[in-house]
Amino acid sequence: MSIHIERSRRQFMRDLGIGAAATQFLWALPSLGAAPAQHDKQRVVFVFSPNGVIPKHFWPDQEGEHVGLKRILKPLEPFKDQLLTLQGIDNKIRGDGDGHMRGIGCLLTGVELFPGDVQGGSDTPAGWSMGISIDQHLKNKLQADPNSRTRFGSLEFGVLVPDRADTWTRWSYAGPNQPLAPISDPYQMFDRLYGQTHNRAVLASVIDDLREDFRKIESLVSAEDRRLLNQHVEMVRTVEKELKTELESARNQQDVGHAVPQLPPNVDEGNDNMPKIAQMQTELLVNSLAADFTRVATYQITNSVGNPRMRWLEIDEGHHSISHEPDSNESAYENLIRINTWYCEQVAHMVKRLSETPEPGGDGSLLDHTTVVWTNELGKGNSHTRNDIPFVMVGGGLGFKMGRALKFDHAAHNRLLLSISEAMGYPEQTFGNPDFCGEGSLTGLV
Amino acid sequence: MTYRPLLALFVIFDCVFAISFCISGSEASGSDAEEVIAQGEAVFQKLCQDCHGAGGQGVQAHYPDPLTGDLSVKELAKLVIETMPEENPDACVGVDADAVAAFMHERFYSEAAQVRNRPPRIILSRLTAEQLRQSLADLYGSMGRPVGVESRRGLQGRYYNGARRKNDEKKIDRVDPVLEFDFGDQGPGEEIDAKDFGIVWNGSLKINRSGRYELILRSTCSCTMDFGAERRVLVNNHVQSAGRDEFRRVLYLTGGRAYPLEIEFSQRKRKTEQPPAKISLSWIPPGGQEEVIPESHLIPVEMPSSFALQTKLPPDDRSYGYERGTAIDRAWEESTTNAAIEFSQIAIDELYPNYLRRHGNDADGNRGRLRAFLHDLLETAFRGPVDESIRSVYIDRQIDQVEDDGEAIKRVLLMMLKSPRFLYPALDVAHSPSRRAANRLALTMHDSLPADDWLVKKARQNQLETEAAIRNAAERMVEDYRVQTKARELVYQWFDLGDLGEIVKDSEQYPNFDRALVGDLRSSFDTFIDEVLWSEKSDFRRLLRDDWMFTSQRIEAFYGDAWKSISGSGSSSPNSGGGLNRSVRDSEVHVGLLTHPLLMSHLAYHGTTSPIHRGVFLTRHVLGRVLRPPNEAFTPLNPTLHPHLTTRQRVELQTGEVNCQVCHQTINALGFAMEKFDGVGRFRQQEQNQPINARGSYRSRSGQVFAFDGARELGDFLASSKEVQRSIVEATFEHFVKQPITAYGDQLAEQLTDSFRASDYNFRQLVISIAVVVAQHSPADVPSGASIN
Repeated sequence: MSIHIERSRRQFMRDLGIGAAATQFLWALPSLGAAPAQHDKQRVVFVFSPNGVIPKHFWPDQEGEHVGLKRILKPLEPFKDQLLTLQGIDNKIRGDGDGHMRGIGCLLTGVELFPGDVQGGSDTPAGWSMGISIDQHLKNKLQADPNSRTRFGSLEFGVLVPDRADTWTRWSYAGPNQPLAPISDPYQMFDRLYGQTHNRAVLASVIDDLREDFRKIESLVSAEDRRLLNQHVEMVRTVEKELKTELESARNQQDVGHAVPQLPPNVDEGNDNMPKIAQMQTELLVNSLAADFTRVATYQITNSVGNPRMRWLEIDEGHHSISHEPDSNESAYENLIRINTWYCEQVAHMVKRLSETPEPGGDGSLLDHTTVVWTNELGKGNSHTRNDIPFVMVGGGLGFKMGRALKFDHAAHNRLLLSISEAMGYPEQTFGNPDFCGEGSLTGLV
Repeated sequence: MTYRPLLALFVIFDCVFAISFCISGSEASGSDAEEVIAQGEAVFQKLCQDCHGAGGQGVQAHYPDPLTGDLSVKELAKLVIETMPEENPDACVGVDADAVAAFMHERFYSEAAQVRNRPPRIILSRLTAEQLRQSLADLYGSMGRPVGVESRRGLQGRYYNGARRKNDEKKIDRVDPVLEFDFGDQGPGEEIDAKDFGIVWNGSLKINRSGRYELILRSTCSCTMDFGAERRVLVNNHVQSAGRDEFRRVLYLTGGRAYPLEIEFSQRKRKTEQPPAKISLSWIPPGGQEEVIPESHLIPVEMPSSFALQTKLPPDDRSYGYERGTAIDRAWEESTTNAAIEFSQIAIDELYPNYLRRHGNDADGNRGRLRAFLHDLLETAFRGPVDESIRSVYIDRQIDQVEDDGEAIKRVLLMMLKSPRFLYPALDVAHSPSRRAANRLALTMHDSLPADDWLVKKARQNQLETEAAIRNAAERMVEDYRVQTKARELVYQWFDLGDLGEIVKDSEQYPNFDRALVGDLRSSFDTFIDEVLWSEKSDFRRLLRDDWMFTSQRIEAFYGDAWKSISGSGSSSPNSGGGLNRSVRDSEVHVGLLTHPLLMSHLAYHGTTSPIHRGVFLTRHVLGRVLRPPNEAFTPLNPTLHPHLTTRQRVELQTGEVNCQVCHQTINALGFAMEKFDGVGRFRQQEQNQPINARGSYRSRSGQVFAFDGARELGDFLASSKEVQRSIVEATFEHFVKQPITAYGDQLAEQLTDSFRASDYNFRQLVISIAVVVAQHSPADVPSGASIN
């Protein structure tokens, strides 16, 4: 039984007042709304990997309960019961832009690209997407409700997304022509999440040395001028005391399960650091969900036509270059399976971390209340098809019936986007181009 | 304009002494009180001085302690009656005792007297907000190449056939005065494919005033804009996408700085229809309105990378007429933390990677490169060499605690930039005289710290020990945007425009007096200051008497023939940005900046002029006289109650009383001379169908009376007045140095005024002389044996 509590306007204003009075530092702590939740939290994380898959080694052969997973999905074996594969869903968006551009630009938006001047390998040139993406749509809905509002609303993670803004590097949109840049530097993301608290801690740790130097300096000034200096030291001492209290309370918060993650030092954004960066970002993502900084996130591994060189797998050629090879090229075919397996391992690691983290103030693990949606710009690399777009879900956030392989007959992916919105509690008639929403959300998911 | 709701009537006094008397002298009138004190002084000399000293300071053999305390005059008198003189207490009673008590109290006994008698001194100050901004900008700049002054204006444009901008396809290479182009479907020029071309504009944005700027780039095609440093992306519209063509960015920019920028613009060939090619770069400057960025703010070369602090800093104390860093409060303390964190981020993102590129081959054992990088920054921030013990606390101890280089940089910079060694420039007493001289020059002239290699080298090699050497350095440093900005601010303050807000006038009476016009007036005012002060002779008097001004089409349309452009109206092309031109000469209408409409409309009411505001401005600011507010506040007489009176007659009616006349005979007589300029500064001959009476006069400190009829004669008088010269010398000193001029010696104001006169009132020479005096001044009251460690 759920009890609906009518919140008075005054109560609401009072809550807001608390929020407004809280220092930024307080915002770095678990959100105030984390207290007694009236509904179970629902979270969704969208994961992108590029250049399509090798379908034969990806999709389960049969519908229904998983019997054995194919090579690429093998890393998800331990989570088979919480795994849902959705085959037969097509990205049907046409219009301007080449297959890759529409592959990424329409994936979460379900709508065409604006006319523009970015020319791909084929087709017509295009600009940015004409609509909002599903993650941002959900963010807006969640943020509009004080019960589900979080500090960030959504977070956009990247892993080696190139430092340029174009149709191939963006999949999240705040609205028409409003692409959102993912943060690919884990240190920058750390700063965004914990910067204030962290900076206060750094200040606390140097302030003692600083006060010591103040004392030495006193000898340099006349008695009259010392008054100003003393006033200054006094101020520093007050700040020091306050910091101590502040940091203690922060530590207490950490003790109840919201530890600030520790990042390994000096990792720069180079190709060879990709595995490290992927894990650092995962750590930050899992912690953000645990701390209820956000309930929606995207996790974008490289970009459309992404070309990482997976030297750690002893594959020197870039992913995109290999993806154009015909299936008859055995070594390329084998490498593509291994590359996609590596992406799956990243998803599996994220899922594992979620499953190891208890749901704060609730039952089970974070994974029980979070669905990871792993998807791709293309169905298959060398054909550039946007049929059979990989949609692989793990976890209980959306409340779908898991542990199954489903097959659809060329359903438009807009319908899946509708299902996701509906599962989060926000049913819509259409999402993206209405022409592809005719039959409504997908059936058989719940 | 937020004009004062209450009309202030002023009393004129020449010394602080008399003021305190007037305020407290409720029983005796000013002259009576003076008489009593004179009487008391005579008694003191006769009966007390031998034991207590002439100034009550004490006499070693008799009574060595100074006569100070907190008794009231009456209590002090009682004490005298009962106890003094020691050998014969009856010798001083009654009126004599009252008088001697009043005398002592006034001259040395009371707390107030002690404060008055304390010699003015150089007060230890922290960096002001502006000094903090400038210092951080130079700390950043110390790692790059030096900034020069460039006289050319506009942006360098390179036009290519083909959006890929191949070098051999460059067809046009020119300076564009402003960035505002509508190429339509035609393309930008011959030999350039209208469907496939690229343009790169390079240059810098020159900022005259610190404040919040909104930059607006509009482009129908693909465009990117780097700002502040190479690859520091401000706008990334690499993708042209239909409907996305406006990019707004808000930045806090620092005055006296030029920020490099690069704009790339591409019309790409495609299978589909192309949008017409159009691009513009506009801004909303602080307090202004949107306009295409004028040519005068664009420089066609890329200046070195620059850092502009975005952290908000609380305003500084300006109660002495100039900003002083003498208050410590919570908001300021926190802002220094935020500023340090912001700077550490740019150091992590830009400075350290650049440093590594330059020092890639240096040995890096024990994180040697990181230590060397931070050591360089530390010596610049602390304005001199640092020894082992400081280095160890500020660098080594911090680095050793964290593995991550970025974290280490953050720790070190946080501590460094919150250290008193950085925040208090005067704490450099243990450095060499040359180093201190360099520090004072940079602080006085640039509000900053020495960062240029040549200056630091001179300091290191002890080459700033003689006056000639210091002057030489100052002469080199005066040619700088930061000095121009400081000078412009000074002139604004001296002309009472320091807090200039929006100027709004009665729209029925003055139609078309709008924001755009005020914007033009402001540009005209600024440009004239620069024109005069940075001309070869830099003759300050021109600000008070030149017979022309900078004008625009809008100004001419509103203010009439005297504001016609010298090159004929309509001559300025739409692309000249602001379109300022020199006006024709007219010695009645143009009297330097004195009759500038910006000033005249500021010193006026919504509908009518205000001779009192104008008179007070002339008395206080220009002539440097001391005024105190009246005991009562008055509301100005409503013009509608006296429909037949001119403004002059109305003011005379209201201030005619004897008590008011003490001050108003001075104030009014100066203000009336400006009456031919109405509430928006338009020249007029009549008011209420009566001819304007603009006769006025002034009685100087020495009692000489000068008469004038109208602003022209007034301006000529002021330009030659010794009082005005001294006033500008003092104001310049205090604005640049941020300390009282008397703290540097009783005679300094007179000496500087003499040399100002001898240089034919050369303003730049004055700034140099001031900087040289300050740079040579050695700290007097430092405890002996002080050591920097």
